[in-house]
Amino acid sequence: MATSSRHASSSKLPESVYNPRRHVGVHAEWVSDVSSTDYPGHYPNEDHSWNLEKFKKNLQVKVQRLSQRSIEFDLVGVDASIANAFRRILIAEVPTIAIEHVYVWNNTSVIHDEVLAQRLGLIPFNIDPALVEYRTPTGFNAQPNDRNTLVFRLAVTCERVKNTKKDVKPSEQYINEYVKSGDLVWVPQGEQESVFASNPPAPTNKEIVLAKLRPGQEIDMELHAIKGVGKEHAKWSPVATASYRLHPLIILNPEKPIPPHLAKKFASCFSPGVVTIDKDGEVTIDERNMRKDSVSREVLRHKEFEGSVQLRRIRDWFIFNVESEGPYAPERLFLESIKVMRDKIATIKAAAEGLMASADAEPNLANADGDVEMGEA
Amino acid sequence: MNSAPGTNNPSNPAGTQHFAPPVRQEMEYLCADCGAKNEIRSREPIRCRECGHRIMYKKRTKRMVQFEAR
Amino acid sequence: MAELPPKIKILKGAEPDLSAATYQIHDESHTVGNALRWMLMKNPKVEFCGYSVPHPSEPHINVRIQMYDNLSSLQALLTALNDLDDLCVTIEDEYKKSLRTDQYERWDEKS
Repeated sequence: MATSSRHASSSKLPESVYNPRRHVGVHAEWVSDVSSTDYPGHYPNEDHSWNLEKFKKNLQVKVQRLSQRSIEFDLVGVDASIANAFRRILIAEVPTIAIEHVYVWNNTSVIHDEVLAQRLGLIPFNIDPALVEYRTPTGFNAQPNDRNTLVFRLAVTCERVKNTKKDVKPSEQYINEYVKSGDLVWVPQGEQESVFASNPPAPTNKEIVLAKLRPGQEIDMELHAIKGVGKEHAKWSPVATASYRLHPLIILNPEKPIPPHLAKKFASCFSPGVVTIDKDGEVTIDERNMRKDSVSREVLRHKEFEGSVQLRRIRDWFIFNVESEGPYAPERLFLESIKVMRDKIATIKAAAEGLMASADAEPNLANADGDVEMGEA
Repeated sequence: MNSAPGTNNPSNPAGTQHFAPPVRQEMEYLCADCGAKNEIRSREPIRCRECGHRIMYKKRTKRMVQFEAR
Repeated sequence: MAELPPKIKILKGAEPDLSAATYQIHDESHTVGNALRWMLMKNPKVEFCGYSVPHPSEPHINVRIQMYDNLSSLQALLTALNDLDDLCVTIEDEYKKSLRTDQYERWDEKS
């Protein structure tokens, strides 16, 4: 590639990112080369068939930032269909525990039962879903029991503080002015006391305001929390966000450098730190900071920069950002999504093997009765 | 729930229960202004005996109500 | 309670030798559909592979596989599933390795 040599000296990125086959073009009002082409038969005399060894050599996973709530990591060398599968699983198919049934004994607050119940459902809990079974439509888990249901009690009454003046602020006049998630009381059932002994079930955040009360108002309800997944209802989603973006790539044209008097303007077209200007006013791209660029395309709006720069993204370099909201530590979430994916594959594989066995027993499977007959698409 | 609530009086001796007229529990209402308990009778103006306010609220049911948290 | 539908069924119109067939996979979506389609397309013996979600409110996908040389599409499906599982294991190992050995920024996020 013509562009490669220039970057070799200060390069922090591997040379291979300049392979144009890996690039998605970003233009003023469209994108180009979006689809991947690494399939057998796409390029003559090239082998693009699945090869685990090649994949292992090519794959790069690198954690970039980690906090107690979120993680940023790079997944390089996979197709969008794979990265997207993990992203979708993180949002919709990694299980958590959330309140599903609300039994209201009394609620004289101004917030309606329905609305309060909906708010309660959205509270994230610290309960490890591995310790809880799913409720099922039939069988043993059709009924609530200590393996599939956690019970919480919410009983709060607001009262006036005795002997306070009328002109002090409300928080000093009333007891239980706010009903918060911390007011939920776990009621252990059966063997739950010992199962959850090390980590008693509670909301991850104790400060969520659920309702506001005035003296004489009362809330008294029983709450049943069960295991579920985000595709059923978003309250079971374990993440606040799970997203990826493609690594940005900015390529300067050596034939048409940015004149020093325009360097500042050029730099302001990118996110801070992406463009560096040396003492002679010469413009370079800081490769380590390239990932910070928002690819706003601002630079493409200015006539004077036309032909000086190309904006691209690397098609197989995914920068994942996952924020946990619930029982999982952020670094554990991606592993959970892989586990879910492998479970799905195993289930389909077992079914396909079953089909294979019946196809061997009855070679004309496709024209036989049974499964195939009902298969009107 | 299929039995009419409030009509059963378990303290009634068996046998008399059938003939005794159902014990009419007076419906209590709450004053919208001062919150005092009030009874409303026919041909009497609806008026709080404490403060004279003319708006009453019906009390919330004592039964448990079930909701889906969705 | 209605009987559970089978996880996979072969839709009408498949070749008798299964060299071309459409598989309906129950309770799956784009998540598995697109990943599986990609892995099947990586197989040089696959002439064509595509998938669809016939209706957004029905929880199943149709995966169409057509093979060269009258090979079995069911075999190709099984191969692709195995390869996809290998891929998952590889990513998992690499991720764990990075988490264990890489130097990365640790920061305190206020909630």
